[in-house]
Amino acid sequence: MIVLSDVKKRFGDVEALRGVSIAVADGQVTGLLGPNGAGKTTALRIVYGVMTPDSGTASVDGHDLATDRLAAQARLGVLAHAQGLYPRLTAREHVRYAGQLHGLRGPALEGRIGELAALLEMEEFLDRRADGFSQGQKLKVALARALVHDPRNVVLDEPTSGLDVAGTRAVRALLGKLRDEGRCVLFSTHVMQEVSAVCDRVVVIARGQVVADGTPEALKAATGKSTLEDAFVAAIGTEEGLG
Amino acid sequence: MRWDLLGVVFKKEVVDSLRDRRTLAMVLFFPVFGPLVLAGTLTLVSREAREVDQKPVALPVVAAERAPNLMAFLNERGVEVKAAPADPAAAVRLGDADVVLEIPADHAEALRAGRPAPVKLYLDESRRTSHSAVARVKSLLEGYSRRIGVQRLVLRGVHPAAVTALAVEEVDLATPQSRAAMLLSMLPYFLIIALFTGGMSVAIDATAGERERQSLEGLLLHPVPRSAVVLGKLLATATFAGVALLETTVGFGFVPLLVPLETLGFSMRLDVSVLARILALMLPLLLLVSAFILLVASRARTFRAAQSSVSFMMLVPATPGIVLGLVPIKLKLWMLAIPAFGDQLLVNRLLRGEPVEPSQMALCMSSTLLWAALVTALTIRAFQDEKFLFGKA
Repeated sequence: MIVLSDVKKRFGDVEALRGVSIAVADGQVTGLLGPNGAGKTTALRIVYGVMTPDSGTASVDGHDLATDRLAAQARLGVLAHAQGLYPRLTAREHVRYAGQLHGLRGPALEGRIGELAALLEMEEFLDRRADGFSQGQKLKVALARALVHDPRNVVLDEPTSGLDVAGTRAVRALLGKLRDEGRCVLFSTHVMQEVSAVCDRVVVIARGQVVADGTPEALKAATGKSTLEDAFVAAIGTEEGLG
Repeated sequence: MRWDLLGVVFKKEVVDSLRDRRTLAMVLFFPVFGPLVLAGTLTLVSREAREVDQKPVALPVVAAERAPNLMAFLNERGVEVKAAPADPAAAVRLGDADVVLEIPADHAEALRAGRPAPVKLYLDESRRTSHSAVARVKSLLEGYSRRIGVQRLVLRGVHPAAVTALAVEEVDLATPQSRAAMLLSMLPYFLIIALFTGGMSVAIDATAGERERQSLEGLLLHPVPRSAVVLGKLLATATFAGVALLETTVGFGFVPLLVPLETLGFSMRLDVSVLARILALMLPLLLLVSAFILLVASRARTFRAAQSSVSFMMLVPATPGIVLGLVPIKLKLWMLAIPAFGDQLLVNRLLRGEPVEPSQMALCMSSTLLWAALVTALTIRAFQDEKFLFGKA
C-alpha cells in the first residue's frame, strides 16, 4: 500500500506537484499516466525516498517517508528513473549488492539471485561485467535488483522505455505476475497501450495534478470517449507532450 | 551506526576500484615516484658536490704578473689563473665570470715593505651560483695571507700559535648541501601527495562518478542511512590513500640505502622509528584528506570536473612545504593546529633528527582528527541534500 497525500513539490519557479493524493492498493497494477514533465518521476522519487516533498506526506505500508524512511524503503522494490550500472561489476554482483543493502546475506541471498536469474532469463550474462550490456540486459539487472528482497510494493519508473517488443511483453507479463502475487504495483508511463494492456487502475497526472483516477473503462466512460487515447487527451485537456 | 551496511558499501567500492586499471596504476606506481625523485635528485646533487670540490676553478686575474708567488700558490691548489676580461666589474655583473681578482700596482711594493698588500676581488653576493667559487677564492687568499704572516712571525721569533686565538672549524653549508636540505623539506609534501593520488580515483568514482553514471539514485533508494553510505565510501578512499602513503613512506626508507648521503654532509634520519612516527602522524591526515577529496568530488558534476578540482586542491597543502623550503620557520605551537602545515613541520623535524615532544604530536594529530570529523559531517550532509543528488547544487 503506497499513499501520497496532498504532496507539493516546487523546483525554483516550477511547481512540479501541486497537491497530489493517490492511494495505491495491494493486488493491483496502477499506472501513473501523463505527458512528459507532468510530475510522474518527481512523485515516484518522493515515494522511494530520494526526494522530500515541500508539504504533504508519502508512506509505504503505513511507514512515513519523512519520519521512517528506512522502514518504508525496506518495503519497496524500485526501478528508478536513472538506471545506471557499475561497468566493472557483473550482473550477479549488482543484484548481490542490492540484496546486501537490504540486509540479506549468505545462502538466502544467493538462492534468491538464482531464482531471479531464472525468472528474468539472465543466466547467460549473469557473471559478465555490465560494461557493454544491451538496454534489455541492463533493465533485467535493474529489475532483479528491485525484486531481490521480495518487496510487497513495487515502483517502476518507465519500465519499458527503450525496450523492443519482446522485452516490453516480458515486462508486462512480470507486472501481471507481481499483481497476482498480491503485491502493490505502481508504474509510470506515457505509453497508452501499456495502460490498457496491464493496468487495473489509471491515475492521469498533468501539470502536477491528478486529473483523472479510475479503471481504464471508467476513464473512457467519464470522458465519453471510445478509446483510451482520446480519453487521456480529454482528461489532460491538451495533446501537448503525448508520446 | 549500521556497521554491516557500511561494510557492504566499503567492500563494493574496494572491489570496484581494484578492477579499475587506472586506479591501480595511480595507487601502485605514483607513490613510488616521490622517493625515486628524491633519490635521483640527491644522487645528482651529491655527484655535483664531489665535482665542485675537485674541479679546478678558473680565476681571471688582472695583472697577474705583479704577484708571481701568489699565482704559484693558487696554481698548486687547483686554481687555473686566466687573463682577465677588459672590464672585470662588468664581467662579474653580467655573470661571465664568478669572481675576478685584481692585483693593484702597489701590491708588490707593500708586500716587500711588510704592510698589508692590497688585492681586489670583484664578486656579486646576490648571485647564488657563484657563491662556492667566491668562497673558495676567498679562503685561498686568506690561506696565503696567513702563510706569509706566519713566515714573518717566525722570522721575528714569535710562535705562530700566539696569533691564533680561535681555532675555527668550518662546516661548509654551501650550495649543493643547502639544495639537498631544501629537497628534504619538500619530503613531507610528497607524503601528502601520496594521500591525494591514492585516494583520488576511488573518491571521485564513488561520488561524481556515481552521479555521472546515474547509479547514485539507485544506491540511495535502498534502506541505508546516508551516514553509512558516506562512511563506507570514506573508508574505501582512506584504504587506497593509506596504501599509497605506506608505499611512499617505505620508499623513503630505502633512500638512504640508495644514495650516499654522507657525501652531502648531512644525515637524514630515515630509520624505522622515525618512519613509524611519521606514519602515526599522518594517520589523522589520511582521514582528513580522504574526507576532503570525497567532499570536493561530491560537489563536482562529472568525473572530469572532479578530477580538476581535486588536482587543484592538491596544491593547497603544498604551500607550507614550499615556504619551509625557502624561509626557515621557527616552530610555534599554534602552527601545529593547522592541518597539513603542522604535520609537515613535525615530519620535517623528525627527518632532521630534531626533538619532537609527544605533546606536539598529540596536538597536531587531534586537531587534524577534529577537522576530519568536520569535513566528514559536511559530506554526509551533502549526501542528505537532494539538490546534491540531482546535480542542482
